[in-house]
Amino acid sequence: MAAKGGASGLLSAAALSVGYGGTPVCAPVDLALGAGCALAVVGPNGAGKSTLLRTLAGLLPPLAGSVAFEGSPVDERAPGFRRDVAAVLDDDAFFAALTGREHLLLTARGHGVAEPDDVVADEVAAFGLADRIDALPSALSSGQRRRLALAAAFVRPARLLLLDEPERRLDTGMRTRLGARLAARRDAGAAVLFASHDPALVAALADEVLVVDEAACRLVDRAGAAAYLGGL
Amino acid sequence: MTTAVPVARAELELTGAAVRRATRRAAAARAETTLWTRLGDTVGTLTSIGVGIAVVGGGLASLRAKIVARPLTVSGAALPAPYAAVVAAVLAVAGLLLLLDRLGPVSATPAAAAWWLPLPADRRGLLAGDLARTTGAVVAVTLVLVLPPALALPSSPSVGEVLGVLGAAAALGAVAVGGTALLQTRGAGGRLGPAAGVVAVLAAVAAALAGTAGALGVRLPAPRALPSLPLWIAGVLAAAAVLLLTGAVLGLDRLDAGRLRASGVTAQFATASFLSLDTRDLGRALSSRPRRPRRSRRFRRVRGPVAALVAADLVALARGRWQLGQLAAAVAVPVLVARTAGLGGVPVAVWGACVVGWALAAIAAGHPGREAQAAPELDRLLPLGAPQVLRARAIVPLALTAVVCTATGLLLGLGTGAVAEWALLGLATAPGWAAASLRGAYRPEPDWAGPVMATPFGPSPVGVGATLVQGLDLGVVVSLPLLVALLRGAPTPGLVVGQLAWSLALGAGAVAWLTRRPSEP
Repeated sequence: MAAKGGASGLLSAAALSVGYGGTPVCAPVDLALGAGCALAVVGPNGAGKSTLLRTLAGLLPPLAGSVAFEGSPVDERAPGFRRDVAAVLDDDAFFAALTGREHLLLTARGHGVAEPDDVVADEVAAFGLADRIDALPSALSSGQRRRLALAAAFVRPARLLLLDEPERRLDTGMRTRLGARLAARRDAGAAVLFASHDPALVAALADEVLVVDEAACRLVDRAGAAAYLGGL
Repeated sequence: MTTAVPVARAELELTGAAVRRATRRAAAARAETTLWTRLGDTVGTLTSIGVGIAVVGGGLASLRAKIVARPLTVSGAALPAPYAAVVAAVLAVAGLLLLLDRLGPVSATPAAAAWWLPLPADRRGLLAGDLARTTGAVVAVTLVLVLPPALALPSSPSVGEVLGVLGAAAALGAVAVGGTALLQTRGAGGRLGPAAGVVAVLAAVAAALAGTAGALGVRLPAPRALPSLPLWIAGVLAAAAVLLLTGAVLGLDRLDAGRLRASGVTAQFATASFLSLDTRDLGRALSSRPRRPRRSRRFRRVRGPVAALVAADLVALARGRWQLGQLAAAVAVPVLVARTAGLGGVPVAVWGACVVGWALAAIAAGHPGREAQAAPELDRLLPLGAPQVLRARAIVPLALTAVVCTATGLLLGLGTGAVAEWALLGLATAPGWAAASLRGAYRPEPDWAGPVMATPFGPSPVGVGATLVQGLDLGVVVSLPLLVALLRGAPTPGLVVGQLAWSLALGAGAVAWLTRRPSEP
């Protein structure tokens, strides 16, 4: 399964059960994602996609089973893990007194990016934020804040990108450009794992698709995923 | 379109402290506050604190003078005052531990969790500043709270004694922060709070029972006063605080982002509620999640919508983590004060303790109502109108306050020869306190649009104050006949009947007012 980067893959999960308060939200998950591969996670609302991504990012402990990054258990407390993994989940939180540009510069400098001003300027342009990037978050629309959060994943290097419904609150054109940018990162060797309801984004980016459900989690190909998403 | 992957070098990464500094500088660059406004705020705050210390200290000194003026002696018939002082200290420390444990004490706001914690920067550098700030705040608040009793309660305190008490209290506050933070870094956060709550309730109940036993003839060892605290105790506590805080700082890198964020969300909610003076939301912010049920209930004996609502309220109470302890403390606090040598001879103090204890019971009994006020989904599923829902929701508080008030009256009356009268007087207050419980649970949001009143503590919006006391105000008025009984020394049958009529009338009026009040937009 999507394990171009090695037998065990960059990110792997075995019999992984995820949920809250000891209660699983979906069936156990097995996956292995290699470098240079993209795996889409699809399923109906409430199926457990976001919970699965939070667990893969080390933000929730697994209820059972295991999740590993490069063969070691995922531990987001390790600086090395944070260097390698960029996650854009469903958070919509910003420092009230920092502008959008300052958020991105903080991220780039925090990761030791050389030429951070140039990198941030490029991403600001790519996400169509040039006019509003020096505004405070409270003055941005929800779509602009979403683009800002996504841009933060691109102003730094990452070997694994974890994205929860990256298409949310984006217009069609931006979704297409985002798909192309993620595909470019994938082709440059990064692994991409994303939850999505957008058949076009799944078709453009995913090598394989994991259907998450209460009864069973199973892999399907892109055609199967398109049919599944169409039926939701 | 940009496709190049940014290049990063480890030697260019910012440290945690550097990330903090960068964030602070960026925020400070556009802050609207000036040095003068900060200076003015500081002076205003210090003035309010000074006025508060003077007011509370004066009240305590007056209370001490009243106690001294009475011909009371420490005997086996009452709880020696030093015991009560120790219980009060245990309750205060337990409250602090509960608060710290619930809020982290180390946490990350949602913004910090989203933008700081994913960086490779060391978490020690990111979070140590917050821990230092929390420690400073706890020490400062502890000093402010302890200063009035340290000055006012001893008859002629020396500077050394006062400094010893203040030093020990401040160091104890720092120990509490260091201890809870150290447990948090060891993955044991969230466990100290419940334990502290249990210890606090047990201490209050044990002291109340001991005092009651004393009234029934059991002789208790009676120290005349607490020994004064030598300065070396403060030194030992301060050394312990340094050790604990150092251990906690060294372990900050072990804290995981998920829990830091969860604590940060709670702290942010609690802070916003505190600043907006919304004590109901503050209670929601600080309350723990309900106990996880072992199995779902079938409600086989439930017949009809009223029974369904009562059953749901009982389940909400049974699954609450604090309500049982609150109810036990509600009985223990008045009994403890009434049985404490000296304090028990001041009727207003006993009455005040009854009001505090029964208000605690009303808050516990109002838990389902508060939950339903915030999320009335179940109420809307039932074929009941809003007035019927309110009347049905009074059933559980009535039962609980009846038990608490009767038990309090019974224990107050033991040894006085008028047990039945005191118990009946307690029972007679229950309808009013049940209505107070509902009034508190269903009170409107604070009204910030009303006029502002000048107070010694600064301008205060009248509408907010009037809203916040809803519930307690009714309980105070309902309990006035009890005050008369305490001042007289014993309840008469007429007082009991009068209390019942007064309580029923006020309770029924309050429920009727609630049912007719226009709903909020």
